[in-house]
Amino acid sequence: MTGHLKTWPIILALSILSAPLVLMYAYLFIDTVTNSPPGSFIPNEFTLEHWAFLWHTPPGRPSIWRVTFNSLLFAASTSLLVIVVSSMAGYVLSRLNVPARGFFLAGVMVLHAFPAITLIVAIFLVLQMIGLYNTLIGVILVKAAIDMPLGIWLMKGFYDTVPWEIEMAGIQDGASRFTVWRKLVLPQVKPGIFALWLFAFLLGWSEFILPQVLAPSGDVQVLSVYLASLIADDNNFDMALFKSVGLFYIAPVLILFFVFQNYLMNIYGGGSKG
Amino acid sequence: MSASRDIVESGPARIGTRAAPARPRFAWLNSSKGLGLVLIMPALLLVIAFFLAPVILTGVFAFTNMSTATGITGGAYQISPGALRVLTDRYGMGELAERLGQPTYVVDEQGLAALAEMEIDQDIIDGLKRRLGETFSSRRDFERVIRDLPTRPNTRTVKRISDAFSRSLANARFASAGALMSAAEAIDPELTDDEKAALREATYTGWSWTTDNFRRLITSPQTMRILFNTIFFVAATLLIFNTGFAMLLAIATHYIPDRPAGIFRIIWFLPRISPAVIYVLLWKWLAWDTGFLSAFLDNFGIRPRNWMLDSAFNAWVFVILINGFVGASMGMLIFASAIKAIPQSLFHAASVDGAYRWQQIRHIILPHLKWPILFVTCYQTLSLLTSIEQTLLSTDGGPGGATEIWSLAIYHTALNNYAGNLQYGYGAAMALVLVVIGIVLSLLYLRLFNYRALIIKPRIEH
Repeated sequence: MTGHLKTWPIILALSILSAPLVLMYAYLFIDTVTNSPPGSFIPNEFTLEHWAFLWHTPPGRPSIWRVTFNSLLFAASTSLLVIVVSSMAGYVLSRLNVPARGFFLAGVMVLHAFPAITLIVAIFLVLQMIGLYNTLIGVILVKAAIDMPLGIWLMKGFYDTVPWEIEMAGIQDGASRFTVWRKLVLPQVKPGIFALWLFAFLLGWSEFILPQVLAPSGDVQVLSVYLASLIADDNNFDMALFKSVGLFYIAPVLILFFVFQNYLMNIYGGGSKG
Repeated sequence: MSASRDIVESGPARIGTRAAPARPRFAWLNSSKGLGLVLIMPALLLVIAFFLAPVILTGVFAFTNMSTATGITGGAYQISPGALRVLTDRYGMGELAERLGQPTYVVDEQGLAALAEMEIDQDIIDGLKRRLGETFSSRRDFERVIRDLPTRPNTRTVKRISDAFSRSLANARFASAGALMSAAEAIDPELTDDEKAALREATYTGWSWTTDNFRRLITSPQTMRILFNTIFFVAATLLIFNTGFAMLLAIATHYIPDRPAGIFRIIWFLPRISPAVIYVLLWKWLAWDTGFLSAFLDNFGIRPRNWMLDSAFNAWVFVILINGFVGASMGMLIFASAIKAIPQSLFHAASVDGAYRWQQIRHIILPHLKWPILFVTCYQTLSLLTSIEQTLLSTDGGPGGATEIWSLAIYHTALNNYAGNLQYGYGAAMALVLVVIGIVLSLLYLRLFNYRALIIKPRIEH
């Protein structure tokens, strides 16, 4: 269709437009293992000194491993909660004859569009009142609840593609509705559950504002909050250190994304916020 | 509650009636309704706890003066200098305030017991016991009485004795109004009800109900500025990047071979998958006074500076770039898949007719993008209106509040600021504005995009 049209001018224009991004991400890698003379961006020596944060904890800060563990726990718990709750509720909205089903479905859509971040003041105060402020449990519950509407919506979509005949056959063979869901339908949507889990895990891993507001300090700090406080500290400005911690933080995201991008692109296209 | 009841009567589904009856214990799991309610319960609870309740509570908190100073649970009653000033200025009870603020000496059992513990001479204790219940409004008066006792103590002891009877209410803190009143009545037994009420209100340290937040929101000149910033930010980012640039990317990658197209899409996807903290850090590296931009422009004799924060104009450029690069990827994906859905024959026909690329774009692609553009615009208006992270991490509203947008102002008012005085109530009032806009717009979108059409009727039941 583009036979008589040249493509190289388009590629050139796109390359120029993309150059800043490429440059930023390329230097994210380069600067963590090299030193450059002042005023220049051409590295003149290889070094691992910027990675010293892995074995040497700066005074007044939690250990990077503690923080990484918190991030892992946070992302794993929220994503698990999201897939459990969503795979249950999604099935109801896709298949079961509950009262006010249309209302629930509309509710999920409204919740998905609704910017939950606006509730953060109320949630902040409530967590303080009930003693869940500055705990991982509190922020895990909040994050899972916020990601859940998207999860339910996606799971409903996955269930919609499962043929009814599977369920009909199960019921005909005398299985209960619960068993049909658990043993016959769930295995059919496994790839969907995996994609949702991956997506929710990455969302949890990347989350900044919720832990920053609801669980900001010491023992429960997650990587994003740790890195942000490192950057915000005016007394110790060290761009190479920030980038090294940043690369350590973003590496799992990039790896998972490149390995599973086919799973993820669809979900991102389906409308995450931002 | 057997399976048969849920099975459609018509057609082959009738076979369901032959199903063996479920064990009675799990009968509720075997009906569509029962199982449905069980499976949806966790989601429902999360929605109630983290969506419905916070929406209502945002409204409730907006009508309070909660702040760091008042705390968020109940308060106490403290006769602080501030409270006494309120008593004088607002209630015109300067005399009462003076009495409460002054040191007062009351000869009571408690003080006598303290004397016995300090091993003060018994004669002195006995002497003071005879004056039990007397009140002195100054240390001098009271110490004169002590000196007049038969066994005249030395100056140091006099001071210790008077300290033991000091019953000043200044800075005293009471857990309840009752405790405050009995303490106040010990000093001044003739308190009127008006005075009591005034005292209660003036000394209360907790929060109270008020509509001041909204009055302040409407009258404050700061509000207008933030409102203008927000509208500018949303409109500019939306127009330039989330739809405009996204469309450019989608159309451009449509016209190049799949391989480079895929690479460019992944590049433009990086901002979305990157955690905000590290993504903004990369921009800071670009803009810092020792960063890339400064070093590069130095070659052309332009003085190094922090490009992100050196002027309001530059700050806006960066805020819009940073948010826009993230936003562009969503539009890019949606527009690209919409273009892909256009029948190839249309392009071929246009090609045969010798249509230029821009004619194809104008007459084939753009008409097909009407709904995707509307969807992206609607969706991202809300996202941008409520986005905090990128702006917080990059300019933090600076320089001098030039890029302070509504959501960020909420954060600075109620959640985190340098002064440390967080105004929860006022912040909640500001958040309430966004909550209401969010609810109205998301309900509107539901109608606009007619999500009901997506409901598939359950086929096992009717």
